[in-house]
Amino acid sequence: MKENDTLLKMVGVTKTFPGVVAVDDVDFDVRYGEVHALVGENGAGKSTLIKILGGVYDLEKGSIFFDGDEVSFTSTHQSLMSGISVIYQEFNLIPDLSVAENIFIGREPKRIAGRFVHWKKLNADAKGVLDRLEIQIDPRTFVSDLPVAERQMVEIAKALSFESKLIIMDEPTATLTDREVKKLFEIISGLRREGVSIIYISHRLEEAFELADRITVLRDGKKIGTRICTETSEGEIIEMMVGKVVKDYFAGEVRKQRERELIMEVKNYSIADHIEEVSFELYRGEILGFAGVIGSGVHHLLRSLYGVEPKKGGQMIFEGKPVEIRSARDAIKLGFGYVTEDRKNAGILPDMTVLHNVTIIIIKLLTFLRGMFIKNSTEREKFNEINRNLNIKFADYGQKIIYLSGGNQQKVVIGRTLVTNCKVLILQEPTRGIDVGAKAEIHRIMRELANRGISIIMTSSELPELVNLPDRCIVLYKGRIAAEFDRESMEEEKLVAAQIGQAGN
Amino acid sequence: MIKFLKLYEKIGIFIFLVAGSIFLSIASPHFLQSDTILNIIAQGTYGAIVGFGMTLAITLGGFDLSVDAVMALTSVFLSILIPLIGIPLAIFISLIVACFVGLINGLIITKLRVNPLITTLAMMTIIRGVALIVAGGRQIVIHEKVFMEVGTGKLLGVPNPIYIMVVLFVIFYFILYHTPFGRHISAVGSNESAARISGLKVDLIKIFVFVLVSFTAGVAGTIRTSQTLIGIPTMSPGFVLVAITVTILGGTSLSGGRGNLWGTLFAGIFISMIYYGLNLIGVQIFYQMLSVGIVLILALFIDGIRGRYLETLKAKGIKV
Repeated sequence: MKENDTLLKMVGVTKTFPGVVAVDDVDFDVRYGEVHALVGENGAGKSTLIKILGGVYDLEKGSIFFDGDEVSFTSTHQSLMSGISVIYQEFNLIPDLSVAENIFIGREPKRIAGRFVHWKKLNADAKGVLDRLEIQIDPRTFVSDLPVAERQMVEIAKALSFESKLIIMDEPTATLTDREVKKLFEIISGLRREGVSIIYISHRLEEAFELADRITVLRDGKKIGTRICTETSEGEIIEMMVGKVVKDYFAGEVRKQRERELIMEVKNYSIADHIEEVSFELYRGEILGFAGVIGSGVHHLLRSLYGVEPKKGGQMIFEGKPVEIRSARDAIKLGFGYVTEDRKNAGILPDMTVLHNVTIIIIKLLTFLRGMFIKNSTEREKFNEINRNLNIKFADYGQKIIYLSGGNQQKVVIGRTLVTNCKVLILQEPTRGIDVGAKAEIHRIMRELANRGISIIMTSSELPELVNLPDRCIVLYKGRIAAEFDRESMEEEKLVAAQIGQAGN
Repeated sequence: MIKFLKLYEKIGIFIFLVAGSIFLSIASPHFLQSDTILNIIAQGTYGAIVGFGMTLAITLGGFDLSVDAVMALTSVFLSILIPLIGIPLAIFISLIVACFVGLINGLIITKLRVNPLITTLAMMTIIRGVALIVAGGRQIVIHEKVFMEVGTGKLLGVPNPIYIMVVLFVIFYFILYHTPFGRHISAVGSNESAARISGLKVDLIKIFVFVLVSFTAGVAGTIRTSQTLIGIPTMSPGFVLVAITVTILGGTSLSGGRGNLWGTLFAGIFISMIYYGLNLIGVQIFYQMLSVGIVLILALFIDGIRGRYLETLKAKGIKV
């Protein structure tokens, strides 16, 4: 069965779960030294497919050939030993161990009758692997002390230390900044030169195009097709993914023209170590974007405006009056809403229902008997009123939020701020980790809100979102304003340049 | 199967209770008499009452290990105050003292930011110590026989503690499920960061919950003291385990955010039923403590299996 250039060949792979066919008769192959992108919306079957490869799920039907032999993995260990490493979105590193220990966990070099860890050799071996990837991390550092990007590098190093022939990366760039993504891409190119094959799963099409030799699209568990990157277009791939023609990612957006009416002025705003003397204005009904790589202070600024991070100095003038926002309560009272970039850990209330998640901020107002008891009918009315615009898809009022898709969860979190009738909405990474269709819907919702007169301050690590969505975009570099663009002057190249400190036009 | 597991989460303890009743009615001809049943329920009131408070604390994502010490402190204060200021005022002030302990718990946890488990563990020995100091290290006999009515009296044939339990249940039920405050408790227990960002007064909510837990402990301490007419500074050692067992067995999620007060109520009665059953087959009283521990571990074990099973289903992409 060995074909000269094919490392992995999956034929007719099928996997069903009660009630769903997760992967339906899929053929898939990867060549030696190839980067093969795997794309598809949430629920398309990508995860199931790689979990079959990783030995998490048993193969139900079909066959897999790897490096010339037919294989069938019944455990993750087996798959790893055969030369397949899977780097999942949630890392499998142990935070309280060092980088070296993590790389060689379970197979540490031993000394003295094989009883004690040979620390010197362990660290030297780890250094060797890291050097091969040209990663500057001390192998004795604790993983908990590393930023996300470097943890990912460690995962890759670990995969490499197994001499893996195939490395599968599931959404590797979801939490990385542009610069870190660049570094990752360099590493991937290096691996390819060494003959290692990569399966690259991503929501970001432009990355797939930059990196991959071929792209395979899955939809509803079926393979829609495989294309050679240089012979296709983003438009074609998106069409394959969603099954219908999507002309323009940001199409259908109608901007309402209005008089510029100042709602907020921020003067000489500073945050210790992060923001230096930043001043800007915010107008009613506009979407103001903030761009900046990690270290620019963008996230700190947005958090601080909402009062969840202390400021060092500066003034805020809101609707003509100077205001002090010291806490989220202050901000909410003034008419601010805030959606965090960390939906899972600081956004959703996972144990509570969709309904209760939306109404939590204003629940005190949905009551009777002098605010003593919650009035269920009022609560539902309020929810339905908000949901007319949001269109959250849920089964019933008692459904818990964790059972919704990422996109619907995000709508719930946005809805929570909307019930307060906020005037300023701060959105950090509004579309992180949600699929293409839901992204477009969030964009639509944001524009509708702006048209209704709500001012939106947003930031995103996805460039197209910052380039296309906001009316104005301010670029921060090392805590200071580096550039500002409006719709006319906005150019992707200039924005990127400003982000990395090359603002001089 | 999934439906059964979801149902189990809601009313699992009720199934245990019914199964236990069937078993006992076969094993003992006396079981199905109304006196026996009322007696079992009355014996279960302490566990259930403190369990109500504990349910709020665990829903909040916290724990209160100081409840049995608070019961003892209440007992000592009652025995000292009753001869001085009369029964009603003595009960009132003793309950205030109990609430005050909760206030201190809450302040230490929120303002000094000490872990709730450690705080209340330390407070457990501190409060025991205070109770012993106040009582001068001995038990204090109460001579006002009328006080006994609180814990042993009956109204329409039903023991008073059952009325107290029902009233508290209704109050706590409304607090947890029908007031903004209850919603806030769930929110804090579900995701504290999100609750803060949503502008909830997280610290105040926590403090108030710890006050409520101590209040329930005070009520349980009052009932027990009235039944023996002795102020006991060493009252109910280890009772905190019963309160936690009742809460977990009742289906309140250990990770916070989801409280099940009906479950707590039934679990309180179930524990009492186990005691009765053990008595029936002639097991010594020392073994009762042991049985509670075993039940707690079993409850957590079953809950763990259930949780992991649902997780696997979710991982396989099945809607649960």
